[in-house]
Amino acid sequence: MSPRPAGPAPVVSFEDVSKVYGRLRAVDGLSLQLRRGETVAFLGPNGAGKSTSLDMLLALRKPTSGRIRMFGSDPYHAVKSGRVGAMLQSGGLMPGVTVRELVTLVTGFHPRPLPVDQTLRRAGITGIAGRRVDKLSGGQTQRVRFALAIVGDSDLIVLDEPTTAMDVESRQAFWANMNAEVARGRTLPFATHYLEEADQAADRILVLNQGRLLADGTPAQIKARAGAKRISFRLDHPDEPTLRRLPALVHLELRNDLVQIQSADSDRTLYALLNAGYRPREIEVSSLGLEQAFLAITAADNDHTAASAQATYAHAGEAI
Amino acid sequence: MNDTLALAAAEVRRLGRNKRYSIFSVALPVVLYLVVAPQVKQASAYGVSYAAYYMVAMASIGAFSGALTGNAQRISQERKDGWIRQLRLTSLPANAYVLAKVIASMVTTIPSVAIVLVLGRFYGGVHLAAWKWLAIAGVIWLGALTFAALAVAIGYRFAPDTVQPVAMLVYFVMSILGGLWFALAGWMQKVGQGLPTYQITRAGTGLISGGTVSMTSIGVILAWLAAFTLLAVLAVRSTAETL
Repeated sequence: MSPRPAGPAPVVSFEDVSKVYGRLRAVDGLSLQLRRGETVAFLGPNGAGKSTSLDMLLALRKPTSGRIRMFGSDPYHAVKSGRVGAMLQSGGLMPGVTVRELVTLVTGFHPRPLPVDQTLRRAGITGIAGRRVDKLSGGQTQRVRFALAIVGDSDLIVLDEPTTAMDVESRQAFWANMNAEVARGRTLPFATHYLEEADQAADRILVLNQGRLLADGTPAQIKARAGAKRISFRLDHPDEPTLRRLPALVHLELRNDLVQIQSADSDRTLYALLNAGYRPREIEVSSLGLEQAFLAITAADNDHTAASAQATYAHAGEAI
Repeated sequence: MNDTLALAAAEVRRLGRNKRYSIFSVALPVVLYLVVAPQVKQASAYGVSYAAYYMVAMASIGAFSGALTGNAQRISQERKDGWIRQLRLTSLPANAYVLAKVIASMVTTIPSVAIVLVLGRFYGGVHLAAWKWLAIAGVIWLGALTFAALAVAIGYRFAPDTVQPVAMLVYFVMSILGGLWFALAGWMQKVGQGLPTYQITRAGTGLISGGTVSMTSIGVILAWLAAFTLLAVLAVRSTAETL
């Protein structure tokens, strides 16, 4: 997906926002802006602060410090004036009523409601409208949650891990629907730990780790920032300090005679290596996917922090 | 307010479909009144006929259990499931969920109270002036409000797996020491006097025997209502960030 032209004023802004629980800084000095019509992925491992950030955006939690503005007001009033629809990972449904009754009820709360039948159709739940909410499968429940996010004509739709319980097919159908929502001019921030999803669905990715914003850019920029290419070769008696001084080098790994390099400019790195008189064997140059880019960015960040980083890194690997 | 009422109406609809709720708050007092009352040899209690006392007690127990046990459980579960969070993302005012719960609880209490009073009139042979029937229903209804407030406090404070034992404990202490299962005497009555359940029953029997309600009864009921409401407000406030 190509980046959309950015509107003049941001619809959402975080100004140095932090959320602290005891000794844990769940969100740590987050500053960002979302512009109208953007699809923005909040990408990070579990515990990166994605959900907490979205919760604060939705006025479910208060920032410990800093300020969040949305459509020129505070999050609470923006939510109450119906400008925001949201689908939460932790959002529940009222048991004991049918899908249609629930959607009708919540539609009634919206200041700019859309026809119930249209919402049911757009969420793909027309066929289960008569079923009891508490008798649905995980994927069906997820679609009902989505329906509740689009019952009205909201300007911003927040999705927290929207496709968690879905199979591949439903996931694709879901994003096809979402693209239609964005085409109506809505702004769409969503949290995910699926890199593939961020890469395919978002035109902008915010990489979060340990509550901080590590990178902000298009999927292509994120990949480039982490070192776009991986170079690997064999070299007898490699000299680590020399290799580390190679231009455009982002990350170096040595295992006996095997050298692996992440480089922002593989040509420059290789030429410098050859000019230095080395004659490496079995040279391979490959593109880094977003996954490696993401791992590289978060791993580099974790290296800076103390012992706790180890656990987060393991977590990141697991989430991906 | 219209949206809050719409939510309350939805709550009433789903409670109507809930069999367990109907059994505990409507069927149980009716069955007890039909089966147990005739077995009791005691002729009178609290200055009225036993049939009249038992009518008031059973109407109270229906209202009380309907407002307390099921509600506390549902609130706790819906808090855990995230339904309350979901509602906070709508344009509904912040207190709509709690208000709707209390309103729905008050509405669904009406049939259980009404049915037992009708039984008292036609099966128990209790004859009263029209205003006394309304006053008795009103006092019991006020009592139900007290326990609806307590249900909110318990439901917000306890997780779903612990809320039921807590609610049951309150239910049994309040109902037994409040003299809802049998009329109290001696030390139990001394202890029971401080409970809203006891004073609701005494207000009812007072209306039947003398047409008046003692200030003690009103004072005790209102004091508990204030205390439970305060507990509910504190519980809702303290959990606002974790919902």
